[in-house]
Amino acid sequence: MASKPSAWRQYKILLAKDLRREFHTKDMITSMGVYALLVLIIYGAALGQTSSSLDVLQMSGGLLWALFVLTSLLGLNRSFSYEREAAALDGILLVPMDRGAIFLAKATSNFLFMLVVEVIALPVFWFFFLANTGLPASMPYVAVPLLLGTIGMAGVGTLLSTITAATRGKDILLAVLFIPLIFPLLYACVTATTAVLVGSVDFMDAFFPSVALSAGYDVVMLLASWALYDFVISA
Amino acid sequence: MAKTKQPKLPEIGQWPDRLAPAAIIGALVLTTVGFLMAFFYAVPVNGAAVNGAELIGGSMVTSKLLLSQKIFYFHMPVAITSMVVMVFMAYYCIRYLTTREQRFDMCAKVCMEVALLFVIATMITGEMWTRFEWGVWWTWEPRLTTYLILTILVIAYFILRTAIDDPERRGVFAAVFGLISFLDVPITFMVTRIIPSSLHPVVMRESGMTLDMGLTVAVCAVGFLLLAFGLYRFRFRGQRLAERTQALKEALDE
Repeated sequence: MASKPSAWRQYKILLAKDLRREFHTKDMITSMGVYALLVLIIYGAALGQTSSSLDVLQMSGGLLWALFVLTSLLGLNRSFSYEREAAALDGILLVPMDRGAIFLAKATSNFLFMLVVEVIALPVFWFFFLANTGLPASMPYVAVPLLLGTIGMAGVGTLLSTITAATRGKDILLAVLFIPLIFPLLYACVTATTAVLVGSVDFMDAFFPSVALSAGYDVVMLLASWALYDFVISA
Repeated sequence: MAKTKQPKLPEIGQWPDRLAPAAIIGALVLTTVGFLMAFFYAVPVNGAAVNGAELIGGSMVTSKLLLSQKIFYFHMPVAITSMVVMVFMAYYCIRYLTTREQRFDMCAKVCMEVALLFVIATMITGEMWTRFEWGVWWTWEPRLTTYLILTILVIAYFILRTAIDDPERRGVFAAVFGLISFLDVPITFMVTRIIPSSLHPVVMRESGMTLDMGLTVAVCAVGFLLLAFGLYRFRFRGQRLAERTQALKEALDE
């Protein structure tokens, strides 16, 4: 006499499954974290010729988001490939489950993994390249573009990684589809992050419109991804 | 599926096919007339209205009479046409997702092919414009950036298509990606346009078009729209005939 669990309950179960798997294997966080560290080391070589950390400060937003996009791509590629490998996805689809719940659960787990890596990478970046400049007063605001950007990347990325997991040459294909699609979000988040890190008095002039546009992108793209997910996962 | 009414499918021999040859001829005439009008009818105008002189991409740019402005009469109509074709592409994507008829997938794909042609034409004419009007080969200006992203999205659409073998799955994935890209383009334009940046001088201040300019643009725009329609229809016809030949071959083999 078991009634069908609610979509919220399905969501929680699916999310818990992903988190439990990650807790056991530590697969995603380790690979993404190591990758982020490697990108930082490349930055070390790339920025070796800059004379002062003020030079780096001007592009810090861009450098950080380049790092986030690259590590997110790595994570997104993995998030669905193991579901396909073990045919685990077929099992999930056999259950008469709300397709929206599958999307939201997967997007949430991707969001959490990305966020953990970003929260670790940001201070390391600061320590390596900007330690001399001192923390600007606007620093706490960095959380806003970080959250909005990660939400957008996780939402669009979940849809696209579901598509590319079923194709040939999926690793490169995800990058080809993902990077142009998140370009506007990336642009807005880089502007907002740079404004915060530079921390001039009028940083709100650039920060506010960027954050508002990132939020708008998130709303439009998440709704679209959520609505189209049913088609993608059933195909 | 069985219960729903069978949607009316685009097929060769329907009324658009009768219009397509006329459209191509009309397009040839109108774009030629537009070309001549651009040089002999529309008066030369000032280039980008820059306040005094402004530093763009390392060189000083001032307002002056420019022959290179003529490219505008082709650049803008081609850009408009590419946008119109994208709208039809999105329409066919939605039709495909709701009906799952392979025909609509084919229509969306053909639209995308025509769009690719016009997007690339826009990029090339736009490049000429930037080079001679602003004195730089490339600048991350909103329209340029948007079109670059659009070009990459259209190319990515075809890369995605070639990576999938199963036609049903290919249709769904391509339609979903087509729709998402269609949403992405206006957002890209808004984002790059609204966010203030010290790197983007606003060199384009629209001051409206005079009658001769407007007329020339209109003639070219109608010409290119007809061209897009004619190309779409002939390409669709070719694809559909190839499909039917294939089906006949398979039927004969059995």
